Amino acid sequence: MIIAKKEMGSLLQEKTLVLAIIVQLLIASFSSLLVIGLASFFDPSALDKYGDQRANVGIVGEGELKQFIEKSHVKPYYYGDISSALSDFNKNKIDAVVVIPPQGSESTEIIRLVIYLPKSDIKGTFVTLQLKKPLEEYEAFVRDVRSPRIGFEPVRLYIDSIPKKTSTYFEFIYGILIPLLVFTPVFISGGLIIDMFTEEFERKTMDLLLVSPMSFMEILDGKMFTAVIIVPMQVFLWLALVSLNGVVVYNIGIILLLASVIAVIVVVIGAAVAVKYRERAISQYIYSLILILLFLVGYLFADSPFNMVTRLSSGAAGIETLVYSEAYAALSLPLYVYLKRIQIS
Amino acid sequence: MGILTISKWELKRTGLSFSKKTLVLSTALIFLIAIISFSVSQHGLHINDNIYKVVVTDPVLVPIIQTDDKFVVYPAKEAEARRMFEQGGFDLLIIGTNLYHHNSEKSISAMDALDKAINKYDEARLLSYNDLNNTFPVWITVKNIARQQLFQPLSIEKLPEIGSVSEKTATSTPAIEKTIAPVDEKTQVPSISEVTELKKGSRSTINEQALATPSHFNPPIPFKSVVLSFIFIFPIYFIAQFFSSSIMEERVKRKGELLLVSPVKPYEIVLGKFLPYLLITLVLVAVIAVNIGGSMWIVLMLLPVALIFLSTAFTGAIIARSFKELTFVLIFLSVFLSGYIFLPAMFANIHAISIISPITLVVKLLENETVSVSEYLFSTTPLYLVSLLIFMFGIFIYREEDLFTQKPIRSKLLDSVQEFINRMPIPVFFLSIALLPLVFSLQLMLIVLLFNVPIRLGILVFILLAAFIEEVVKSAGIYTVFSRKIYPATAANALKFGILSGAGFFAGEKLLLLLVIASIAGSAFGSVMGIGLLIYPLLLHVTSATVASLSLKRTGNYLLSVIFATVIHAAYNLYLVRGVIFG
Repeated sequence: MIIAKKEMGSLLQEKTLVLAIIVQLLIASFSSLLVIGLASFFDPSALDKYGDQRANVGIVGEGELKQFIEKSHVKPYYYGDISSALSDFNKNKIDAVVVIPPQGSESTEIIRLVIYLPKSDIKGTFVTLQLKKPLEEYEAFVRDVRSPRIGFEPVRLYIDSIPKKTSTYFEFIYGILIPLLVFTPVFISGGLIIDMFTEEFERKTMDLLLVSPMSFMEILDGKMFTAVIIVPMQVFLWLALVSLNGVVVYNIGIILLLASVIAVIVVVIGAAVAVKYRERAISQYIYSLILILLFLVGYLFADSPFNMVTRLSSGAAGIETLVYSEAYAALSLPLYVYLKRIQIS
Repeated sequence: MGILTISKWELKRTGLSFSKKTLVLSTALIFLIAIISFSVSQHGLHINDNIYKVVVTDPVLVPIIQTDDKFVVYPAKEAEARRMFEQGGFDLLIIGTNLYHHNSEKSISAMDALDKAINKYDEARLLSYNDLNNTFPVWITVKNIARQQLFQPLSIEKLPEIGSVSEKTATSTPAIEKTIAPVDEKTQVPSISEVTELKKGSRSTINEQALATPSHFNPPIPFKSVVLSFIFIFPIYFIAQFFSSSIMEERVKRKGELLLVSPVKPYEIVLGKFLPYLLITLVLVAVIAVNIGGSMWIVLMLLPVALIFLSTAFTGAIIARSFKELTFVLIFLSVFLSGYIFLPAMFANIHAISIISPITLVVKLLENETVSVSEYLFSTTPLYLVSLLIFMFGIFIYREEDLFTQKPIRSKLLDSVQEFINRMPIPVFFLSIALLPLVFSLQLMLIVLLFNVPIRLGILVFILLAAFIEEVVKSAGIYTVFSRKIYPATAANALKFGILSGAGFFAGEKLLLLLVIASIAGSAFGSVMGIGLLIYPLLLHVTSATVASLSLKRTGNYLLSVIFATVIHAAYNLYLVRGVIFG
């Protein structure tokens, strides 16, 4: 306990926790930025940035596609030949040119469209996204005409009311952002325990501590306790912050428990590495490799801690997941025994 | 000569601490990581598994919906199904072929996912017919043409002109007729195998081919190349870790003391220690480049990235007081740097702004595109300058009193600024110039961060933050001078340093402008960054720096003074771009 108090004191004094929280904030904002940025590219209506803006598209040729384009968000301009359309394209008057071939839905040949787009230009992305919908509708239309020839029947479902809301970020928030916020403190704590030990070894203060009436295992436990206990505190802070932003997080208690259990595993691994190698550079390196490995393995299984957090926070799972927490807790036991064994040898 | 000797020592030292056993273990771990990444790339990531619960009355639908791991499907009789949907936490209800949903976000999201899953299922079935003309009847050939990019509707011409002085860079030329250069002119005939290939790709892979069906007609995000380029960050990151650990270890064990009293200069020691790490990084990068089939130019693209990671690792190790602090400083810096270099790369091929990151250039090389010299200069010059700067300030405090004492970070930073001031003629003037690359990089970062925010709010926030960064840098020297009592804090001195610092910043800004005439020069962001008029910016920088300086003398409060100056600075910039924000 004395050790735990001392470590906590030094964490607060060095303001490292503040830095840790900034780091997590950065990670969270980067990842949301990325996804919101990409999502808004794929679904421009989500951000309403281009909501009332229509892409100008040049159309060359006649065909059934025209009616789908006219119904869509795209603003069509008609040209008699490709060269005049391309000349307007190069003058930035239109942002894409669609060349429609003479074949129609009744023919048996493949309908080959050619689309000219501006290279490395945000306009190209914008026009691609607006054109995608009429093109898909057109494909479905042609398929409806042609697929009876081969006897294909698509799966069809009907709904009465199409909701006005969109849910672009739902899967990102619960599938990526919240698990990331829950597990970053865990990973940081694992690194922290390595620093706590290797510093004592390299400054040779460990010898001093060992002279005191405490056993090595007590020192170990004290330090590990500090590293673990700060995890649920940070996670709670994050989940509270996310909730303030209007995202409903279910099962906070179980998530905190799960995070603490995983923190025990990761911290014990970190401590084992540190006690074994005693040098910061090597320990941190090995720890990072193990961490990457665990991270990847976590994405291989449907019942991994990441997915558990996803399901718990979105309300898709509840109290029954305590079984998994127990299973993971059981996993930490052999690790702890292993740690004891290295310490003795 | 001294440098090389120290390099040899350093190599020996780190080589020794790497025992054979450790080496075997780390190779084994890397091998395992490779195997698992491969299997992840084959089966796809298990994200969002089982998050949606669907209840159906028609059991035929169960296997269809369960092709997507996101769904858990329960068959039930109609009455029971309705009850489960109302009370049992189910997201969707399908009676016969009629779909019902709740009005919650999760339920709507489930519906979107269901739509995608069924489309995918249908496409897979269509594919099994082996009859392309009737199953995938529409094909699109995409031809990308390079043309003059305009920053509509934010071109600088829309900004009100203040005064008559206007710089050459500000006049954006109307679209120049460029020769049409169609890429991928081959008119392909799709073969069944090609389509199978296309459809097989997991849901995350974004098709990059020039030939596509409408459902694969997507913006050209080079997803695969960005993921590939991410591999390069690992050696860079790990080697930087080792470098900082080595420096820190020396400080902790007080081993470097002997070297410091030897006639070897500090910069020689630092360079000697740093060279082996740089070389190893570059070799590892080259090995990876060969293995993933990239060209050797990638090494050149990543040189500034390696430099910035190593330089921040070095200076971080100098200013940290303990291992824990070092870890946090390094995690913070590497997250920040990774953001700086990877966020823009995600927008490669989409927007010209992505070129500020060297990773975008790597992505381009991986996509077999060419990179021009000016692109290289534009994206790497800030990084080169900033890493030089960080090294320089680190070396300034590579001396006994800073290495082996427990000074707080802030006081060590002041030490290095003070060292700069002691060594330079007209110090405050040159300090402003020297710190400019840092300001420039931070502002570029801001642009990237704010690019997704609605444009007006984005510009407003950018103006405030950019002004704040500039004022912090301009007054850093003045603060050091006064707080370390290098010169007495009189009004005359405050005035003098304010003018010097402002003028220095102005001079540096225009110098940098000559070096990198940015492709952002035409956008509203560019004009806030000072690419615009001449005399007014000079007056502005001098005035705001003087305000900061005078209020520092008065109050002694650094933050308050900077905020004062920021308000003035931001007000001017706001006035400059008022047309965009309020018009």
